[in-house]
Amino acid sequence: MSRRAVLFWATALLLVGCGPTRLHVPGTLSPAPQPGRETLLRAGFARVDITPPPGVGLAGNGPEGAEARGYRLRLYARVLVLADGGGNRVALVVADLGLSSTLLHRRVAALTARTDGIGVDRLVIAVTHTHAGPGHYFEAAGYNDAGSSVLGYDPVMVDSLTARIARAVHAAVADLRPARVAWGSRAVWGETRIRSLPAILRNIPLPTAPPDAPAGLPQEYGLVDPELAMLRVDLRDPTSGAFRPAGGFSIFAMHGTGNAPSNDLLDPDIQGLVERRLERHIDEDLNRVTDGGFVPRAVYLFANGAEGDVSPAWPPQSRCNVPTLVPLPALAGPFTRSLWEWRSPTATHLASCRHAAREAITVIAKSVGDGAVALFDALGAGAASTDRLELGRAFATLALRDSARALGICSEPALGLSTLVGADDAHTRIQGWLLFGLFDVGLKQGSPNPDVPGCQAQKRQLFDAAFGGLANHLFVSGSLPSSAQVTVLRLGSRVIGAVPAEVTTTAGRRMREQMLASAREAGLPVTSALILGHANGYMEYVTTAEEYSAQYYEGGSTIYGPGEAAMFGRTLARLAASVSAGDSLPATAAPPLDLVVGHQRHVVPRRSASRVPPPRIERVWCSGDTLYAWLQLGGAAEWPVATGDVAAHARVEIVVDDATRTVVSWDDDPALEMRLRSRRAGLAWWELRWSGARGRTHRVRIPGGTESDPVRCAVP
Amino acid sequence: MAPSSTAAQLSARTDVSVEGRYVWHGISRAAGLVAQPSLALGLRVHRVSLEGGAVLHYELDAATAGELSETGAGGRHLGEADLWGRAMFVLGPTRLHAGIARYVFRGDSTQGGLGPARNTTEVFASLSTTSRYLNPTLEAWWDVGRVRGAYLQASLDLPVLGWPFPPYAFVFVQGEMGLNVGQGPNPARPGELANFATRGITHVGLGLGTEVRAGHLFGIGSTTLAFGARSQLNTDDATKFDGPGRSRDFVVWLWTGVTIVLGGDARSVQ
Repeated sequence: MSRRAVLFWATALLLVGCGPTRLHVPGTLSPAPQPGRETLLRAGFARVDITPPPGVGLAGNGPEGAEARGYRLRLYARVLVLADGGGNRVALVVADLGLSSTLLHRRVAALTARTDGIGVDRLVIAVTHTHAGPGHYFEAAGYNDAGSSVLGYDPVMVDSLTARIARAVHAAVADLRPARVAWGSRAVWGETRIRSLPAILRNIPLPTAPPDAPAGLPQEYGLVDPELAMLRVDLRDPTSGAFRPAGGFSIFAMHGTGNAPSNDLLDPDIQGLVERRLERHIDEDLNRVTDGGFVPRAVYLFANGAEGDVSPAWPPQSRCNVPTLVPLPALAGPFTRSLWEWRSPTATHLASCRHAAREAITVIAKSVGDGAVALFDALGAGAASTDRLELGRAFATLALRDSARALGICSEPALGLSTLVGADDAHTRIQGWLLFGLFDVGLKQGSPNPDVPGCQAQKRQLFDAAFGGLANHLFVSGSLPSSAQVTVLRLGSRVIGAVPAEVTTTAGRRMREQMLASAREAGLPVTSALILGHANGYMEYVTTAEEYSAQYYEGGSTIYGPGEAAMFGRTLARLAASVSAGDSLPATAAPPLDLVVGHQRHVVPRRSASRVPPPRIERVWCSGDTLYAWLQLGGAAEWPVATGDVAAHARVEIVVDDATRTVVSWDDDPALEMRLRSRRAGLAWWELRWSGARGRTHRVRIPGGTESDPVRCAVP
Repeated sequence: MAPSSTAAQLSARTDVSVEGRYVWHGISRAAGLVAQPSLALGLRVHRVSLEGGAVLHYELDAATAGELSETGAGGRHLGEADLWGRAMFVLGPTRLHAGIARYVFRGDSTQGGLGPARNTTEVFASLSTTSRYLNPTLEAWWDVGRVRGAYLQASLDLPVLGWPFPPYAFVFVQGEMGLNVGQGPNPARPGELANFATRGITHVGLGLGTEVRAGHLFGIGSTTLAFGARSQLNTDDATKFDGPGRSRDFVVWLWTGVTIVLGGDARSVQ
């Protein structure tokens, strides 16, 4: 080979190596169901631990999304499988993750279609939208490469999540038992608010608070959709034959943004506490489980609804300042120039706002959780419980770019500048930036550009004043998703539109109305329609055309333009009218997808020591009312639950220093943080912080292993 | 007792820059390519830092007779070696420096370069502060070795753009203005080598630069690549001087450099 050819191929290899990763992902549809011997409804639950090791990026806050230093509450994927007498199965998964992913959905379905007859059309993987979950598994480069401060697509993250979720679906199928279910809903007011009020107020007709809204609510609190919808599931106890409460599935519209944006721990946010609240209630109050284990037996799937413009009611002091651009003072002597840096706020400030956020999370989660408990109990006491639930589904994959004209959306996605500055929940560091400190270039919310023509009219884009849409075309649009998977499920009296996006309150309301009307026209005896957001993929936000024109964060993030909401409304209505059961869908419903997932990187740690010694507690001490411990615990690349099953025991416990060693906390407690101190020689050294010490003497214990010397923290 | 990290922070910085012109306090000292390696060490204890370092100025082009050069015609070597030390006090966004700089010239004055007769020492103090946009610095320099007079300089750093994802990148502008208040000719000592010709504004400079933080070095530091352009409007005869018999009112040059910072705040710098 000539030198020139070597040079050519070396250059080509380098370019390919540095370029984004492309994946060809088939869509595996469910086979036609085989009617079983059971004639009545059956249901099965499962739960799987998906907490990754530290080092991954916390996706959802863009550049402000920190690298995970550890975890607070474990992240789970919860699964409910429903099966009717006709052999129809539907699997609902709600994972404690930031964004849903078409890639993840299709990978899981490829496995569950084979093992359990649940393909893409019968599998819904929704996420709670916690902004303290890992990234690196998304279907589009833009979300892997810009979802947090840790960049990149990592196939190990995809593979790990896929294997764990697929195994959980399989476990739920294995758990299928005769079931009784009941649908209901309840309004939860005061814990959520519209975060882009000027945008929602552009809608025609003007949205108003419903008559049953509490008096005196501020406008942004009164315009939310307060509905907490719930499907309560009771399963027949194989021993007694009686139906016992087992869990449920809910939809409630609320961003998973209770944590401060600077949070650096994996955590399921408010949603995780709400889930645990009802699960413990079912276990302890309803089923009288006295040996409540580390993981609740009940399973509560708490999915998100049309939460695009809905924030939890966090207080202002829970939002931390963002890094600022300043000269780096380090050793900038008289003969060398100053360097620049993004300087983070002080540790004191960060600790303060994180603490405020944790307090808010507790309060909001208790209120919403109490609502869920009350609704669950009410559904159990009522006569609505049934052992029949008609299951149906319709599924479509939309080619957003290729079919844009037919769909009524823009043919090229675009991000608005209001996206880059972040929503009120987590502004980024460029929010409000002025060029030279003087010139407004639109880096703020609510800054439409009336000079932008065409399909994306009003959307102020990167450098559009100088180059029109060129910068978007060259650097942005190729990193955004090109397809969308849409599902409509019929679960008895409800139709549920599962949308791969964050739908605003008004857009969601319109979609529900369209879906319900269409389903009824088609003869389905349904009483209500629900929107399940963040499901089976992610293509950012969906606003109404009126909201889009305001170009708040949600409008800037409505990437295919102002026609998106109408497009989804039409699609959901069409699918609602074509819900079917007992059949298999044509292959055109799930064509293969070519995904550009971004730059592949080793984000998830890979290597642990070949021989990991037993866990060791190095030291324990108190500082104020906080108990600290240093531990050597596992290998450097270990996930908290290595196999992906649910942990039988905690990794670490806090016990009272008495004869019975009463367990008062473990590593799934809002008051307990596990932070990685270091990785050395393939082993992981952790720091435990527990803020629940209240004047008693405690020990740190590793179940099945060692325990520390007693330590007593002062009561403040 | 809680384990605590040490309050003292050690840091080190090394730079290698290449510039199309070597200009110091507005005065052009070499008009060709100049490489400037430097090394600095610092110890920070709470709000106070002690720092010191050295910088060398190598002329990469062989100067010919009549060209502006520190080394002089035919030279292609070290033109100047400087040492400096300073104390820094940090109070919120404001930093106060006080220090000393020693200039050692290695050129051949018989060939038009700058020789040992130019060696001198200056003490300096500076005050700088940071805000979201404006980062001004005021410096006062007092030549205690040769000229025995003061020179003041005001500069302003202004960030234009910052890329928020790694690798972090920044675009910035810098302006500066010099004011001679005592480093001109001394009538009482006519043999003394002055820095400037007249009292008053010596120069006004404006530059545009960009830097890319290439990445963390094993968690203990960072590497930065930078390049930019500088321009200067000269108002004093000394700053206009561009070699024997040549004068320039306005000069423009390019620069580039790489910086490695280890330890201290650089361990977590974004």
